[in-house]
Amino acid sequence: MEVDYLREEPERPGLPVDVRAPTGGPTREQMIARLSMVAGSGNIGAGLRILTEYVGASLYLLARYDLVQEAGLDFVVCSNWPFDLVRRVEAELATAYARTTELDKCQSLLQPKFALLPDDAEVPAGVDRHFCSLTFNVGRTRLALLMLFPVDIALSPDRLREVGLLAGYCVSLSASRGQKTDREFELTDRELECLYWIAEGKTSDEIAMILGISRNTINNYITSVMRKTATKTRSEAIAYAVRNNLV
Amino acid sequence: MAYSGDISEKGRFEMPAVQLSKAASRSDVFPRLLAIQKALKARSFSALRVAGVGMPGRRKLESHVENWDPVVGGGSSAFIAAYGELLLQHLDASLLPLVWNAQSGDSFADVSDFAPFIVQMKPRLLSNSGIAFPVRLGAVGNGIVIFATNSGMDLSGEAILDAHGRCCKLMMDILALEERRLTPSDALSDREIACLQLAGDGRISEEIADKLGLSVHTVNAYLGSATIKLDSVNRIQAIAKAIRLGYIH
Repeated sequence: MEVDYLREEPERPGLPVDVRAPTGGPTREQMIARLSMVAGSGNIGAGLRILTEYVGASLYLLARYDLVQEAGLDFVVCSNWPFDLVRRVEAELATAYARTTELDKCQSLLQPKFALLPDDAEVPAGVDRHFCSLTFNVGRTRLALLMLFPVDIALSPDRLREVGLLAGYCVSLSASRGQKTDREFELTDRELECLYWIAEGKTSDEIAMILGISRNTINNYITSVMRKTATKTRSEAIAYAVRNNLV
Repeated sequence: MAYSGDISEKGRFEMPAVQLSKAASRSDVFPRLLAIQKALKARSFSALRVAGVGMPGRRKLESHVENWDPVVGGGSSAFIAAYGELLLQHLDASLLPLVWNAQSGDSFADVSDFAPFIVQMKPRLLSNSGIAFPVRLGAVGNGIVIFATNSGMDLSGEAILDAHGRCCKLMMDILALEERRLTPSDALSDREIACLQLAGDGRISEEIADKLGLSVHTVNAYLGSATIKLDSVNRIQAIAKAIRLGYIH
């Protein structure tokens, strides 16, 4: 039976909507100053630690959604969650992502959401079983910042949005240092160009005319795209390309 | 097996609906941009959206809503001509805000303490200065919101962060408004959506027919009618559009 662990809750009853800075926490100005110092180094972890502390959370996990559907833990960009917990949420993360449409995703940028960890997941002592997630995009890559926080702490939505934005800034800075090659680099410019025209409804003959190369070459490009993206039909290859913002 | 807690089953389906109905009205967008402009001590703004999809060369920025004070000079079209290409490339790679400076030193945009997070657009091409906030939502609704001045702007990290966050919300609301307007009168039927979804998942018509208990001809007819409703020339384009519009995953 399917159990919806990562079902989103419209609101969290009994928790204050907004809170002041946790006592003793850094102010926004201090946080920005500290973050500016580590930002240049391209060390995402250091930046996320500062942001996590600022928002009053305890643990962070930064995930790349374009890699979440695949087996393995490549989707984790950076995290200080316990390893077993990361393993445990991996599958649910992919399911939750597949459940919403692209349009919904476009309209939930930087919107904090709270969900419950699986019942059998072990969380560190003092940490709430809820976790907070928000998504943002750095270029064509959609990322999610998942945070665990102490029991009895309410996170301020405004601070969460700021933290999401700043996390995006940190990733942008490190992305130029080539953290991980982008998936689209696996496809050549010509292949992408063909995909684009197919998504526009053009046939191989028409694309051959547009690009001034032979129809067979076009078909070879498309076959190559289908091989690289592990898709079975043209339709699926296009669906893959649109889902991953390649066209 | 019961799911835990007191979460109501309908909760999960409410999210998008709530967001759409909360979306601001068209007349609301302008004053909100004006408020951000004021907070940044700028004199003009323009919300630019990416028009067209696909290869970088086929896309361009278009002004969606703007307030351009004549004393600032240039206008959004001059801005797009000067920096449009650069911004489109930036939008494909980064979330960092950008600033540009005027040819003369009288007008500037300064970001002293926040400099590590700001991209400087080096060439001084215009008579005005300002800051640009890239907003990348995903497959649709992307754009850049710019704020310009003919004098000086001294921007603190906090002001930049605030403004960027508000621009993100604003672009989402503009998208929501547009989607509400675009909702087709002859919306796709459940069967059409099911067929499109399976086709997008790599199933051929025979497999779809098998799975839905229909004949191959019926499946093809559904895909055909969906293609017409989505104003597409073939099923592949229909699938691409259906994903972008959120009908299928």
